[in-house]
Amino acid sequence: MSMQPLPSGFELERYDNQIIIPCRHYSFTELAAIYNETRIDYIVPMPMNARRMEEYVRFYDIDLDASPVSLNAAEEPTGIGMIGLRADRAWITRLGVIPHRRGRKTGQLLMSKMLEQARNHRCRLVQLEVIKGNEPAHRLFTKLGFTETRELLIIRRPPAPLTPVPTLDAALVIPLTPDQIITNLVLYPPGASWVEEARSVLQAGNLQGFNVTLADGTQGWIIFQCTRVQIAHVIFGPLALLTEDLVHALLYHMHQQFPQHDTKVENIPLYDLTWRAYQRLGYVESFRRMEMFLHF
Amino acid sequence: MIVLIEDNEQNARLAVKLMQHAGHEVLLAGDGEEGLGLVEDVQPDLILVDLGLPDMDGQTVVALLRQQPALEQVPIIAFTAWPQETAFQMALAYGCDGVITKPINTRVFADQIESYLEKTGTV
Repeated sequence: MSMQPLPSGFELERYDNQIIIPCRHYSFTELAAIYNETRIDYIVPMPMNARRMEEYVRFYDIDLDASPVSLNAAEEPTGIGMIGLRADRAWITRLGVIPHRRGRKTGQLLMSKMLEQARNHRCRLVQLEVIKGNEPAHRLFTKLGFTETRELLIIRRPPAPLTPVPTLDAALVIPLTPDQIITNLVLYPPGASWVEEARSVLQAGNLQGFNVTLADGTQGWIIFQCTRVQIAHVIFGPLALLTEDLVHALLYHMHQQFPQHDTKVENIPLYDLTWRAYQRLGYVESFRRMEMFLHF
Repeated sequence: MIVLIEDNEQNARLAVKLMQHAGHEVLLAGDGEEGLGLVEDVQPDLILVDLGLPDMDGQTVVALLRQQPALEQVPIIAFTAWPQETAFQMALAYGCDGVITKPINTRVFADQIESYLEKTGTV
């Protein structure tokens, strides 16, 4: 990993044999390289390239000045953490330490720097998700005062033909205009995980959606991100009127319109009614995360 | 001809070496886009796809490969460090013909490749 030399314009913080420097110092290519190296032995590695890293920072309001990279005495990267900031909330993500440079409490140092940044930004809540089964990370977060809030599912559906359902085919399907998509998302109530909040979805872009009116008069809408190869960030509404059958109908029409797309949906609460509707359409569980909160 | 789509240089180097040692010609792609481009130019006997790629998910790559009629009979093997149960479930759902888990077991890796090729009569 060849990196830029340490700059003179950045404030370096030194702790025993470790140095902390803001992510801002690095290019997206370098940040992706550091992050990927921390995840080589991870349960679910999820590597990123520079483009994906740049999008991640932009979609999820990552503050690169508040996000730390740790270095050893030889000024080689040892770990990374990223912090997203929205009003009085912070979100910690991408935390990792390079395997052969672990065991020096680097994870704890990165966490303490990010919690300090959250306090400096007057945040009242810090949230994060940890992959279920990552016990060392879970122990660290618990030690720092985080408590579990809910279990989240990451689910997928490969492209597959749908079995026709005549009652659903009879539904009235009207595409949402870009303005309607924005309005529905802006007015969407809070409660989703950070990456699935309306703000994240709006910033992710490439959005499509439609209203569906079923034969019995039931109405709902679905909004989703649709790129060349993948559907993601699926949101249903109106939240108060959702039933499993309505969600099933909305998903049915989404897949009918995009039968060749792979679909990935992140952070469905385990007991959410939508999960049963997803299962009816062939979604399978990929892995689970545990959401944790720390209130200041 | 085997196409390996794997971003981790260390794993890629080892896998390529083991397959070449077993007498196979191997083409390596470091990400999903490169892998998809590569299989357009060659007709591989087998494709090994890492499920964690930097530009797009490995599952998406498998889904796109499976949509190509020319690759209908070509075995696609998921190459992953995911826990075995999850990896098998995901591979099956996406139409993979099998799973080889990482870290690579150097004693059996070449035999695993051979058995997937035998199943489709390409050796």
